[in-house]
Amino acid sequence: MICDDDAGILEMMEMIMDEYGFDVITQANSLNVLQGLQQEKPDLLLLDIWMPLLSGDQVLKNIKADVQFNKLPVIMYSASSEGRSIAENAGADDYIDKPFDMNELEVKIRQLIV
Amino acid sequence: MSFAIKHNNPDPALLVKVLEAANTGVVITDNLLPDNPIIYCNPAFEQLSGYSRDEIIGRNCRFLQSSDRSQQARFDIRAAIDAGENCVVQVRNYTKTGVLFHNELYLSAVKNESGEVTNFIGIQNDVSARVKAEQDLEQNYRETEQTVIDRTNMLRESEEYLSSIVETIRESLIVMDKEYKVLSVNNHFLSTFKVSINETKGRLLYELGNGQWNIPELKKMMEDILPTNNPVLDYEVEHEFPHIGRKLMLLNAHRVELEGKFKDRILLAIEDITERRNIEQRKDDFLSIASHELKTPLTTVVGYVQMMQRLMPEQASDKFRSVVGKTEMYVERLNQLLTELLDVSRIQSGNIELHKDLFDFDKMVAEAVEGIQTATPKYQISLKGKAGTQYFGDESHLTQVLTNLISNGIKYAPDADEVEVYVSRVSNFIKVSVKDFGMGIKEDERKKIFERFYRVGAIQKNFPGMGIGLYICDQIIKNHNGSFWVESELGKGSVFSFTLPVDQDGREVDHA
Repeated sequence: MICDDDAGILEMMEMIMDEYGFDVITQANSLNVLQGLQQEKPDLLLLDIWMPLLSGDQVLKNIKADVQFNKLPVIMYSASSEGRSIAENAGADDYIDKPFDMNELEVKIRQLIV
Repeated sequence: MSFAIKHNNPDPALLVKVLEAANTGVVITDNLLPDNPIIYCNPAFEQLSGYSRDEIIGRNCRFLQSSDRSQQARFDIRAAIDAGENCVVQVRNYTKTGVLFHNELYLSAVKNESGEVTNFIGIQNDVSARVKAEQDLEQNYRETEQTVIDRTNMLRESEEYLSSIVETIRESLIVMDKEYKVLSVNNHFLSTFKVSINETKGRLLYELGNGQWNIPELKKMMEDILPTNNPVLDYEVEHEFPHIGRKLMLLNAHRVELEGKFKDRILLAIEDITERRNIEQRKDDFLSIASHELKTPLTTVVGYVQMMQRLMPEQASDKFRSVVGKTEMYVERLNQLLTELLDVSRIQSGNIELHKDLFDFDKMVAEAVEGIQTATPKYQISLKGKAGTQYFGDESHLTQVLTNLISNGIKYAPDADEVEVYVSRVSNFIKVSVKDFGMGIKEDERKKIFERFYRVGAIQKNFPGMGIGLYICDQIIKNHNGSFWVESELGKGSVFSFTLPVDQDGREVDHA
């Protein structure tokens, strides 16, 4: 599952992840992430940090507080250089800068969902 | 002698001897004869006037006045003669050769038994020397007085001039004595801090406005820093004032050290930079938000370009491959620019984040050089020397510095074909220099190139850029407690160098 408030990114990621052989569920509203996880039971979450309504680190905090999903691998990303430390502090499994290097992202994903 | 002396003197001849011996000029006139002629003069009078007795007897005394007739003394004499009274006058007389002398004349009337004035006795002294001294004195006095008036005017003018300068400047100014008592303030101070002159003048600085100027940082500057470090410039103080709110102030303080009336006076200039800082902050925020927002669509573009590469058909033409390759290259360039802009806004707001770790300094340099060498085979980038130590710092930021310096050495030296990189260990510093063979930098530009958004005028048109690369480098080196400088020769090239302090284990030395 990928959660980002930008529709362009979601559309692009859906297409590219499909190309790399992953099934993708997109989530544009960060408030609905937990609900989406319930319904879809994804193997991994790609999570943007800077989002309106609920920021990525807040979303991750809610996930970590939920026994059902607190083991779910999460890769966070942002365009800001503070992103890495925010992701670390929030307990994300990995982090990648925007714009993504798709090959790097693929490696990170495969490491986490083996 | 035919005149009679009506006194009980034993011997009139003796009296005549006295007159002859006196060094004071004496004349006697006969008032009963027409025009009151001189009937006697002594030798001293001859001496005084330069005339001989023969020339004097029979003439009216006025002959001594020559043509200088319009004298007040003359009227005084006339009045005394008419009234038959005594008088003392000072009269301007002239000797036979026409030399002016000031004659102090005692005129005494001699009366007969019926009260009729028969004679006048004139006793005459040349007081020219005294008069001259008096005149000189008066002249001196007048001149001194004029000088004082002129000086006073000059002082008033310069005071007015100074005060108009003080009132015109767009900064607040306080003048205090050494006990911090306010002697004067300008209108800008009164209007900025919304106080009246009565609430200010004569009060102690720290007591102004119920102690609202009792600011610890200000006190520290005035009492601890200023006495040993005069003048203090650009001292920043932030303070919450009860009525006007939070103010960010830049202070200059100066203690007058010249001997004299103004010794130990303290001048305090206050620039209110609250608004300027707010504007700078808003600009930085805008920069940060704008570059961040631009990154989102860029991410999408980068994704699609990578997709194009991945989906490139086997039989695609070279032209098509080149188009996709160039697109990827320029999208990456755009990404770099946005990253730099983000860096600037972050550094400016004090948010530069260093991820320090121990790393092999020489390896980092070699990799940075190799990276650029691969991308620009046209240039020979030579690497000489070694730091020979591990270094504790932010490797990626220092790579950025090195990459930036080498890229500049290439970018601004289009006619050259080499860049030299030197690394060395100097005392407890690692030193890195990047030498190019480009156009060089003018002396007056050398400091400014480290300022953000500064671009050297002459190159602005021919070389694209935002003027932030060196600013970021400088900030990164500063954040490692290092120093960063440039040496340059116009037309020959420049050497950019930085040093990083290290301890024996290669760790960064913290000077903070």
